[in-house]
Amino acid sequence: MENEIKGQQDRKKYVRALYSKFGASILEEKWQTQDQVTLTVKLNTLPEIVEEAYYGQGGWLSNVIGNDERSINGHFAVYYVLSIEAEKDPNKNLWLTIKALVPADKPEFPSVTPRVPAAVWYEREVRDMFGLEPVGLPDARRLVLPDDWPDNLYPLRKDAMDYRFRPDPVAEEENYQFIGVEGEGIVEVPLGPLHITSDEPGHFRLYVDGEYIVDADYRLFYVHRGMEKLAENRMDYDQVNFLAERICGICGYAHSVAYASAVETANGIEVPPRAQYIRTILLELERLHSHLLNLGLAAHLVGFDAGFMHFFRVREKAMQMAEILTGSRKSYGMNLIGGVRRDILKEQRDQVLRLIAELRSELDDLLDMLVNTPNFISRTQGVGRLDPKVARDFSPVGPNIRGSGYTRDTRADHPYGAYDRVSWNVISKNGCDVLSRLLVRAEELYESFKIIERCLDAMPPGPVLVEGFTYKPGTYALGYVEAPRGEDVHWVMTGNKQKVYRWRSRASTYNNWPSLRYMFRGNTVSDAPLIVASIDPCYSCTERVTVVDVRKKKAKTIQYQELEQYCRERKYSPLKN
Amino acid sequence: MLRLLKKALEVGEATVEYPFKPIEVAQGFRGKPAYDFSRCIGCGACATACPPNAITMDCDLERGIKSWNINYGRCIFCGRCEEVCPTGAIVLSKEFELAVIKKEDMYCRAELKLCRCIFCGEYFETFREIEYVREILEQVGLTKKSSESRVQFLKVCPKCRRHKVARIAALSNWHVDLNGRREENGTRS
Repeated sequence: MENEIKGQQDRKKYVRALYSKFGASILEEKWQTQDQVTLTVKLNTLPEIVEEAYYGQGGWLSNVIGNDERSINGHFAVYYVLSIEAEKDPNKNLWLTIKALVPADKPEFPSVTPRVPAAVWYEREVRDMFGLEPVGLPDARRLVLPDDWPDNLYPLRKDAMDYRFRPDPVAEEENYQFIGVEGEGIVEVPLGPLHITSDEPGHFRLYVDGEYIVDADYRLFYVHRGMEKLAENRMDYDQVNFLAERICGICGYAHSVAYASAVETANGIEVPPRAQYIRTILLELERLHSHLLNLGLAAHLVGFDAGFMHFFRVREKAMQMAEILTGSRKSYGMNLIGGVRRDILKEQRDQVLRLIAELRSELDDLLDMLVNTPNFISRTQGVGRLDPKVARDFSPVGPNIRGSGYTRDTRADHPYGAYDRVSWNVISKNGCDVLSRLLVRAEELYESFKIIERCLDAMPPGPVLVEGFTYKPGTYALGYVEAPRGEDVHWVMTGNKQKVYRWRSRASTYNNWPSLRYMFRGNTVSDAPLIVASIDPCYSCTERVTVVDVRKKKAKTIQYQELEQYCRERKYSPLKN
Repeated sequence: MLRLLKKALEVGEATVEYPFKPIEVAQGFRGKPAYDFSRCIGCGACATACPPNAITMDCDLERGIKSWNINYGRCIFCGRCEEVCPTGAIVLSKEFELAVIKKEDMYCRAELKLCRCIFCGEYFETFREIEYVREILEQVGLTKKSSESRVQFLKVCPKCRRHKVARIAALSNWHVDLNGRREENGTRS
């Protein structure tokens, strides 16, 4: 208790510091919880204040939310969510949200990106979805909306369209402008855009000089599903749990927990301790299968296919654990607002503990083999460098940033569930390369084993679900989870009619893409798939590759298999003929 | 390399012979929702809870039919229907092999008869749901005599019920004495 009060004072310190610098510009201070505060500021001072919180107070950009609040206060609004974690003490860390109202008749706001590069994707998305123009944003291209989407139709405005409406396409062809890199001998290599083996398309364009990548650009969001619009129009609070789980086929449960905890926090619903433990156990279970998948894929991409098979063989045990505990191998479907739907019984607990012991001893062998495979270290060390300075500017998350010397981990920085009730360690490496990211994942597996075992032992008895609460319209809060790929941050504003007014979900990979461009630079084409895989972006390979030789104005399509083979064997470059 | 070979020998065959041999699933596996028509009262709780709208209800007021429909192609096997069903008419089975040759085989439809309102004669609710409510009233200990009139009241549609109550309130002259007891002084229609 004493700690909490002291922590509260420490947290207020950040807000006071902002007051002393920008006093007259801060219009309102509102605390959602002990560690979540929203400051409403004057629109023209938004960039300065976000910059001060980001660089001056050691913040990281965790989310930006656009919101159509015309029916509430006659304005649009933008919320910049920063995680202030300079002191690395969960009792002092703070979620600081800087909010600014944007006039409905003049939908413009000053862009933060020139001061804080991490905001670039968020601001492009706010422009696409709400038609709010970030004045001064250097990148004028669309991010989320497809090229054939009509101008002046902003899907997330409340009066824009029915959620089922699909406007007629206004363009025949893709007209997305990739960045132009010109120079003697530079060849443009598009990777993609469709038929990715794991169902997620993305279009990369590599600018290469000989074998070396000088720059990269990419186009994503080919499979935007309009989930936020769907949730606010058709689903009730409990149903969105299941929708949130389908944001990702790998780390869906993390989204479900992030959404549920945002709603719970906004409405002051206390989740029973036993449910907190169960959520924690399942989140770690999800990390097990996700990290094992990524390690297997890494083995595959460096040409160690037998290792790949073995990783997938042992990963099966993680899938079995999920089936035992939730009744489903994937998409656990365990969350409702207020807790979880199934308890863990003694028999299930014993089965899971046994499987963990088996998995641990298998993993010891496999990791030893992987690391001692002759070309594994040489293919991954020093490759795909994420410079700590670049990382600081773009707020990447998860093993991606922990491989570059930072110890950012939402589980430790902003504990939720039972993470502050069992002991475990944050894993971090200093190599900044593909190898470091893989080793972070490998060691995290052991931490996950520990967390699951300790949670199963320490789980208190009691109910797993509370009911009988009421939802308060117009309240909002953040929900956050450290998913296998990094933090997922959700923001929910409750509405009337038993529906969310606005649900903003930000997946971890969203924060990892913008810095990928810098990770490509200086590496060879054959390393590109490996680098993409090292951020574990929910998909890791592209089906086909087109090579454009700018000087000869000639295009050529290479099958994905060829590039993959080249990545693995590094012989017979497909670029040569 | 040798260790890898040793490992491979140790592990032996990692795959199973599915689909040539059946595969076991865990206790509590969430598979295809099995529907028991004899228990369904057509209350629609499952349709309200179903996140992907796999379960839907329709009313045909011409024919006096309420129908329950499921599209297994939309089902996400969350089991919310099982959770909210008051009569246990839906239980998630262990069946997971749902591929079909014909699309129609993805659907299942059940029809329940609707009861007419004894005042206006409109169809409004299934016989089974009225029966379900009657059983509950009986279980909570209503005497047979009073429940008989209540059973009749159950067959009044919500619209007529509102009219009826409003009329009673308007025509009768209800007073509430200081002890909170209600006295009836007027004539009742």
